[in-house]
Amino acid sequence: MSFLLRRAGFYVVAFVVAAIFNFLLPRLMPGNPVDIMFAQAGTVLPPESLEALKATFGFVDGPWPVQFGRYLASVFTFDLGLSVRFHPLTVNAVLMQALPWTLLLVLTSSLIAFLLGSALGIRAAWRRGGAFDSFGAPAALMIQAVPPLVTSLVALFVLSIRLKWLPTGYAWAPELDPGFTLAFVGSVLVHAALPILTLVVAQIGGYVVTMRNSMINLLGEDYITLATAKGLSDGRVRYAYAARNALLPTVTSFAMTLGATFGGALITEIVFNYPGLGYTLYQGITARDYPLIQGQLMLMTLAMLTANFAADLLCLALDPRLRRA
Amino acid sequence: MRAFFTSLLANRKASIGAGIVAFFLALAVFGPLVAPAGPNQRVGRPHEAPSAAHLMGTTRMGRDVLAQTIHGTRTSLLVGLSAGLMITAIGTAVGVTAGYLGGRVDESLNLITNVVLVIPNLPLMLVLAAFIGAASPATIALIIAGTAWGWGARVTRAQTQSLRSRDYIHAAELLGEPTWRILACELLPNLVSIIGFNFIGSVLYAVVTEATLEFLGLGDALKVSWGTLLYNAQTTSALQVGAWWEVACPCLALVLFGSGLSLINFAMDEVANPRLRTLRLKLRAPA
Repeated sequence: MSFLLRRAGFYVVAFVVAAIFNFLLPRLMPGNPVDIMFAQAGTVLPPESLEALKATFGFVDGPWPVQFGRYLASVFTFDLGLSVRFHPLTVNAVLMQALPWTLLLVLTSSLIAFLLGSALGIRAAWRRGGAFDSFGAPAALMIQAVPPLVTSLVALFVLSIRLKWLPTGYAWAPELDPGFTLAFVGSVLVHAALPILTLVVAQIGGYVVTMRNSMINLLGEDYITLATAKGLSDGRVRYAYAARNALLPTVTSFAMTLGATFGGALITEIVFNYPGLGYTLYQGITARDYPLIQGQLMLMTLAMLTANFAADLLCLALDPRLRRA
Repeated sequence: MRAFFTSLLANRKASIGAGIVAFFLALAVFGPLVAPAGPNQRVGRPHEAPSAAHLMGTTRMGRDVLAQTIHGTRTSLLVGLSAGLMITAIGTAVGVTAGYLGGRVDESLNLITNVVLVIPNLPLMLVLAAFIGAASPATIALIIAGTAWGWGARVTRAQTQSLRSRDYIHAAELLGEPTWRILACELLPNLVSIIGFNFIGSVLYAVVTEATLEFLGLGDALKVSWGTLLYNAQTTSALQVGAWWEVACPCLALVLFGSGLSLINFAMDEVANPRLRTLRLKLRAPA
């Protein structure tokens, strides 16, 4: 239990550090960001929203500590202020509209990449030096080196612009009404296929390599030899003895790479005009919508912390040694 | 140490990887001499398809894509190498110090490292770059280095901790060697392979991240690099109008350079960890 408490304490610290970044940056900039933003936004923003914008950055009356306290309070209650690009929506509303789409991409692709990649890694390690391993391992490594930006651009051009197999953008066909109809769900899946495929390709190499290497390291251990000597079936040794332990580093890296996956999803969404966080953020960046850009950092950090906490729980379930500590 | 490098050179993956990386380094240094045109020189009509005159076609602005990619190599590699160097330096310094000194120092450094690791990089960089506005390549390198050193620090710390209890370190301590000497002369040489991994992985990460940030329009669009080429292609909808060549050349450069680096890393892993090595003998034996 103390293990979990310590982790939870750490996550609170990490969240506050991200908030400190957001709090300090506007203050370190030359000039007042609110005024600059207000000037740039032109006639979009009504004058009354000036006060609301100032509050977003914690520019309230009082010394810095008071300002910081107010800022922290608003962040912890997840009040992220007003968006400039999507006025009059709040940052919250904008992010919440986009979040489900990104989660759909990230979760589906991570799950596919994790399951498929680990299975391939186990296979490669079990027959190491075999045809599958000597071709698969370097191939996985090469795929891992291809940035999601390149994968998305290539997939977009080949599969949707040239071959016209899949749509070039958006989350569903515009003529459909959102709802739980067969046509709509089908359209959503068809539109998500290409971004998900791109993200699977971006992630799978990492899982293959991590799983293969940690599995190979374990296969040399005495307890594996013992298990084989006892006459246990191949499958039992492979999965219940070797793979279960080899999974531990993969589970931790699963949570760590989630940040990269979210980053990859941002890029993929921009390339495919997919209405998730990345695409929304891209519009925010071009309009210099600071509250929105800052809000996504808090949301992404929260997502990372949640994933890490989930990984902690999973490690606890997989590794009994942690429960005793 | 020498044995390490000898077996690294004998590794086929390593030599292919090193060849690719050397090619790009040469391109970064001598590129402007061999490029068929200047980086911002208009040499043809907009979106000309690849031909003998323009091997990789022209951009929307009528610039030679191959020439721009060659010119961009210098900026991309400079950012990649300098950011990679900084990431490795910070990560190694933090990791070795935390791992060797232990106690309070370790606790606080480890906390900082974990925080850096858990705050997602790209969103954080977006915030930084957005506030800085039209970031120069040097600024981008600094941003990348400041947000990405956590992984290296964690790995170096773990390795240092396992080295710390070795006899030769105890011997050095008993001889009264100063701490800095133990860190620099006793520990560092034994961390070379980890530092090497860290460096190569970081360069790869930095090159890709720079391209990504510039693709998002957060860089200085007037500086020619692989990322700004992709940014210009995206803003002029090159793919949508069928001008795939505007995207192909910088993409190919990114993928090739990345593969070269990962081949070296993979080979280093095999040399440093004999269990991962696949013996040639095994391959020839009947399955």
